[in-house]
Amino acid sequence: MALQRRLKPAPVLVALAPALVVLPLGIVLLRDLHGGGVEQIGRFWLAALQPSLDPTLLKHQLAELQITALTALLAWSLSSLAGLLLGVLSSTTICSTLTGRRWPAVVLRRCLAPLRSIHELIWGLLLLQLFGLNGWVAVLAIVLPYSALLARVLADQLDQQELPALIALRCAGVPAVINLFTSLMPPVAAALRDHIGHRLDCALRSALLLGIFGLGGLGTELMLSLQSLRFRELWSGLWLMALLLALMNLVIRRLSARHGLLLLTLALPLVTLLWSHRLNHDLSLPRWIQGAPWPPWAQLRDGLTQAWVETPWLELVGRTLLITVLASGVAIGLPPLLRLIAPDDGPGRMLKAGWLLMRLLPPPLTALLLMLASKPTLAVAALALGLHHSGVMGLVLEDGLERVDGRHQQAMVALGAPRRSAWLFGVLTPASRRYLAYAAYRSDVILRDTAVVGLVGGAGLGWQLMEALSSFHWPQVGWLILVYAVLTLLGELASEQLQERA
Amino acid sequence: MAVLEFRRAGLTGRLQPLDLTIRLGETTVLLGRSGAGKSSLIGLCNGSLLPDEGSVLWQGHDLNRCRPAQRRQIGTLWQDLRLVEELTVLQNINTGALGRHSLLWGLRNLLQPLEPELGDVLLHQVGLSNGLRDQRVSGLSGGERQRVALARLLRQQPMLTLADEPLSALDPRLANDVLNLLLDQSSCVISLHRPDLMHRFQRVLGLRQGELVLDAAPSAITEATLAWLYSEG
Amino acid sequence: MPGRQRPVVMATGLTTGLAFAMSLAGCSGAPSTNDPVLKIGAIPDQNPEKLNRLYGSLSDELSESLDVDVRYVPVSNYAAAVSAFRSGSLDLVWFGGLTGVQARLQTPGARVLAQRDIDAKFTSVFIANGASGLRPITSADQLVQLKGRRLAFGSESSTSGRLMPQYFLGENGVTMGDLAGGGPGFSGSHDATIAVVQSGTYEVGALNEQVWRSNVDEGRVDPSKVAVIWRTPPYVDYHWVARPDLDERFGEGFTDRVQKALLSLTPSTERGALVLDLFGAESFIPAQNEDYNKIEAVGRQLGKVR
Repeated sequence: MALQRRLKPAPVLVALAPALVVLPLGIVLLRDLHGGGVEQIGRFWLAALQPSLDPTLLKHQLAELQITALTALLAWSLSSLAGLLLGVLSSTTICSTLTGRRWPAVVLRRCLAPLRSIHELIWGLLLLQLFGLNGWVAVLAIVLPYSALLARVLADQLDQQELPALIALRCAGVPAVINLFTSLMPPVAAALRDHIGHRLDCALRSALLLGIFGLGGLGTELMLSLQSLRFRELWSGLWLMALLLALMNLVIRRLSARHGLLLLTLALPLVTLLWSHRLNHDLSLPRWIQGAPWPPWAQLRDGLTQAWVETPWLELVGRTLLITVLASGVAIGLPPLLRLIAPDDGPGRMLKAGWLLMRLLPPPLTALLLMLASKPTLAVAALALGLHHSGVMGLVLEDGLERVDGRHQQAMVALGAPRRSAWLFGVLTPASRRYLAYAAYRSDVILRDTAVVGLVGGAGLGWQLMEALSSFHWPQVGWLILVYAVLTLLGELASEQLQERA
Repeated sequence: MAVLEFRRAGLTGRLQPLDLTIRLGETTVLLGRSGAGKSSLIGLCNGSLLPDEGSVLWQGHDLNRCRPAQRRQIGTLWQDLRLVEELTVLQNINTGALGRHSLLWGLRNLLQPLEPELGDVLLHQVGLSNGLRDQRVSGLSGGERQRVALARLLRQQPMLTLADEPLSALDPRLANDVLNLLLDQSSCVISLHRPDLMHRFQRVLGLRQGELVLDAAPSAITEATLAWLYSEG
Repeated sequence: MPGRQRPVVMATGLTTGLAFAMSLAGCSGAPSTNDPVLKIGAIPDQNPEKLNRLYGSLSDELSESLDVDVRYVPVSNYAAAVSAFRSGSLDLVWFGGLTGVQARLQTPGARVLAQRDIDAKFTSVFIANGASGLRPITSADQLVQLKGRRLAFGSESSTSGRLMPQYFLGENGVTMGDLAGGGPGFSGSHDATIAVVQSGTYEVGALNEQVWRSNVDEGRVDPSKVAVIWRTPPYVDYHWVARPDLDERFGEGFTDRVQKALLSLTPSTERGALVLDLFGAESFIPAQNEDYNKIEAVGRQLGKVR
């Protein structure tokens, strides 16, 4: 795991510390809380119990669900394959074993960072300009950042493994290529299998979100229902999505226990192409649209200077970072905190159901619900994002807790430790390392996700980007993307530095 | 015949430059206190460490420029074993033969371990039961893992065998078996914490504070020499 | 170990079989014609169930009167609809005032065909939460009392839910920086604007008057909590825009035929009545590109048209 051996200072405290942001957030929210939206919120949750069962609606939603699933599966398999390849190429260990030099891998790694730093939604809206409404736009929008992210994870895994076997076999005269396969792949593969499986879940949610912003599939239906506040129709779609997520997780779990995962990624492109044909979903080869959407270069150049001057960068970046930090705090700190309050299995199961629900609700929806109960502040935006991602992190934590060997806890209970501290040190501590390794990637995702909570008045770079895109203000779009990329890179460098020091 | 030659080869701060010739068919024991430089010397012998000065020659060629085919003639039983934890016992044993086979053979070994019969023979030789053959290495006990590493070494069939503290984790009876197996190899350099076993070797090398201070036949070494070798500096 | 290979073999067999079955089903299921299809789309501000009925009926109607295949493509994002129109993914789009202008600027030669009778004199309303203490405004210059208030717009590209309300605020001395929190909030849709104002999260909101009225008529508004405080002067809004290449692809004079088909929708036929009712109009009336010059000027002034 990425941070496993390097994070020395009591990982369990590091895992719990982010929960400190819950305090100021809670104070702000309590101050701004109001009861005016209770009726609508009640209507929303009641609708969960009685979703619309209108047959035409369901039939329509099922068709759209298939498009979402198809987009996600295709994007997942392509990004897994591309990510594996790029990850191997950007690993310094592999590069230096094969060529004796490190720098090509480092250069490739840095080149991939901008791909990763831009949200799939922004990719979707940009690609839409170039290729029009084509099924591949949504697929590519997911593939670009996902393969770059997988490449990073894989390269990290490869480079952070301790390499005794690699050196031993090299000294025993084993040629470099087969040595890499034999001594490096088995430990990496185990960790990677989990990650790739988890990415399918993410791809499904991304495909849904792309739909919400107009790129087709069930998301589009959900957004229309949300915009007109038809909560019962909304819930029909959400439950369908929940079923799909559960089904996919089951399939992945089955397959990754054997060796089927790689095979699935290889077979999927073929299957999905045929499937799309049946759904009448346009997956024909995308064609470059005649004429660029942006003005000629000379005009663009003048616009660039003007756009740079008229944009309040300091404020935008500050707000974005603040939202990211607060939301990451909630997302990373809340799951272990709640689990510490309720360490037993029974409440644990309820928490897990809660995380599943949080993950299911797209951030724009969570934001709207929160906005019905509280005045619009930055805190609301941060909480909406944080809650969605705490759903993801909560499930990662539960997954990690299940793998922990219960003997430590038993030993501590036998020594007379109170139940809660036995859980803290016997169960949570061994699980925290994997959890924190994952948390580093999650805060990356949250930074990009600030683009989707524009609902709350002028919330940072993400909102400005959506506004610039909807005004077709290309110079500003260009700058914003650049600033996003720089922020992501800086964040990455900072986390690398921190890891090296610890 | 000289196979391994040190020419003023040294490691800054760990091993002072030394000249040394290891000959074919010779069994050598390496003695000295912890931290005297035994592991560094073994590391220079198998090429896992590069000399900061001087050079190490294998059959007359610079060891670090040797092709894999030449390097596979040197086998090492590492102190920390260096097995691939996620693979099975048989797969790990087979990694000893990777240098002699094609890439395809190596890949097949990952998907489905090859040559189980040979594996069984080696397991028997190192005193492990065949039942362990398809178990993952990560689940084995320390002594069992030690012997899997030994089986891998035997599978490699090296011309020169190196071993770093091979007996430390073993009970006396097992230690004796392992030592016999190592001594059966044509030539070997073995570092030990057991001066009492030096009479089983033809040659004794003594290291003291990173310096080669002793190179003699066991019969020529007195109690006083040993006491000095193990005394504090 | 043969036991280990079995799942791999099974998975291969399964996927191949599945792919084969799908290809068969795919070949028999999808109509493969090379006839051009007229793709219509809309900026949606209706609920999906209504949209599907609306565009289902309209597709049937147009398909019959024009004798071509017509397909409705749902798009849920303003910018996406503009880009889809530019890129040729949509041929005929029901745009809002601002998005129509954006689309035509990016697609030289595109033509405004028609608008609803109500679009020529469209209005937005400002609504306020009762607890805000805001009183109905009798003349536009009183809009200054909105300074320092929490104000919600709908979607960022909406003409009636953002552009024109912002324009009228500016005309009367209220800039976006004067609002509480340093700027407006964006609820995402007209219905959501009502919800956030009614709940008290925002004190004031601006939205399409047509949507406000239908919400009031359906009893989805609590009159004790939220009320209209001001109605904007009229402006032009929604309209049909056609791509420039329709004549080229469907035959000479096709664009005019589309316009005629839209204008000839009457409540006297059953389907015509349904479509017009769903659009909330009595009839469609002709419209020209020039009708939207004022919207373009406002768009430029507020930076939404570049």
